[in-house]
Amino acid sequence: VQYERVGADVTMKCGSMDWDAAVTWTVNGTDIDESRLNGSYLILKNVDLSQSGQYFCYEGSSWHLKYQTYLRVGTPPKEPVLMCRSNNYPKGFYCSWHLPTPTYIPNTFNISVIHGTKDMVCEKDAVPKNRCHIRYLQLFSTVKYKVTLTVTNALGKNFTTLTFDEFAIVKPDPPESVVAKPVPNNPRRLEVSWQNPSSWPDPESFPLKFFLRYRPLILDQWQHVELSDGTSHTITDAYAGKEYIIQVAAKDSDIGTWSDWSVAVHATPWTEEPKHLTTEAQITETTSASTSSFMAPPTTKICDKGAVVGSGAVAVCWTAGLVVAAYSVLFI
Amino acid sequence: MAAADSPSTALRRRDLCSRGIRLAGKMRADVVDLLDVYVEQQGLDASASVAAVEGVPLAAVERWDEQTGTQRLLENLAAYRAFRALLAQMLEEQREQLGEADAGLGRALAAVLLQVSAFTYHLEELLRLESRGIPGEEGDGPPPPPRLSLFEQKLRGLGVLRELAQWAVRSARDLRQLAKPGPATGTAPGLAESP
Repeated sequence: VQYERVGADVTMKCGSMDWDAAVTWTVNGTDIDESRLNGSYLILKNVDLSQSGQYFCYEGSSWHLKYQTYLRVGTPPKEPVLMCRSNNYPKGFYCSWHLPTPTYIPNTFNISVIHGTKDMVCEKDAVPKNRCHIRYLQLFSTVKYKVTLTVTNALGKNFTTLTFDEFAIVKPDPPESVVAKPVPNNPRRLEVSWQNPSSWPDPESFPLKFFLRYRPLILDQWQHVELSDGTSHTITDAYAGKEYIIQVAAKDSDIGTWSDWSVAVHATPWTEEPKHLTTEAQITETTSASTSSFMAPPTTKICDKGAVVGSGAVAVCWTAGLVVAAYSVLFI
Repeated sequence: MAAADSPSTALRRRDLCSRGIRLAGKMRADVVDLLDVYVEQQGLDASASVAAVEGVPLAAVERWDEQTGTQRLLENLAAYRAFRALLAQMLEEQREQLGEADAGLGRALAAVLLQVSAFTYHLEELLRLESRGIPGEEGDGPPPPPRLSLFEQKLRGLGVLRELAQWAVRSARDLRQLAKPGPATGTAPGLAESP
């Protein structure tokens, strides 16, 4: 195998053949035009990736194979991107890496971890390949960890170093099994529950706190709630009848950073009649001034088009009108 | 011998642990704030590495999860007694160096010292609860160190506060372990006799 940089000029000799010998070069089974030859030498100027391949050189008349090589065009590695994180504190941490741009040729990665003066072994994971993990030998140390990743290929090498302390890299995985349910007979409530991430080994000794965010789909602004313990929360200020999107994040109670947001779940608060939501049947919400528990008429389709009285923005289904009238009487 | 776990003992232990956890959390928050002030007012680099200072108890521990409850309490007690003496010394040095010019830093140091004292009391109570003898203090404190230069004092102070911040996190974890109901074996993570 012959490795060359993108953009390089490559000259291939046909083995021990003289310069003025008659030869034929092929690449991947295709003859190479004689214009590329200087005598018996193959000249490739400013090589690009497409010129990678199997090259053969044959003696002119006998077609004896005189030389072969596998040319791989690539680049030396750029500075790798390295990340270390503990999602299973206090067991250990992992580091993962990648190259910002491909080199198109094989690379080897070497990682070293030093804690103070002590070398530690980062055990490579089978899957994914670009990851290794370390078990903590000590906890609560103020001594920093220094991780150096070196990447090497046939055309060069590069490296990067990360220095951090034990607490700074603690970042749990997002909470799991997030469930949001309406609360029967409560049009402004949603009950949300979730579980600790399964990768967090000891939530009893290392409890997590949580951050919940929610908004109706029709609005952009999130509401936030921080919860110091427990894995459930009841939202009590939901807009009646509106579909909500809800997410939860987790953090160790004392150290580290917040997890990514969990998978989003959707839920709609309980409404009086279980109907499908429709955007055409928007009914202006009205509230009674005499009570805060008045249920705004749901934006659900509760009448047929034929039962609509009026038109345009003030079109009101007569059934809905009856409902509104009944509630108004109750609460005046 | 581990005391029989009567309901009142268990309740008292849980109460002491949960109050201790809250105190440790508050202590850590205050120490972290104090560190920022200290670094700024002492003209230090926040990222400076400070070598382990003699007499400052290191929070770093191996096999933390294998410690018995008694080990946890005794190590915590020794550490906070040492911090109590170190902080008192820092306060004295502050007053000598800066007099009234830095009353804010002095007050913050004094507040943390008070919390350290309160936490020490908690630990002693927990040990009493287990009918453990409380180790005497005479041998605990470090011998008076040789007179340090002003810069060395500042660096030591940085080391003390950093290590105290780590201890506050460790102590909360230790108390959570203690508060766990454990099986009555010698190797339980809760309060059990070390073999």
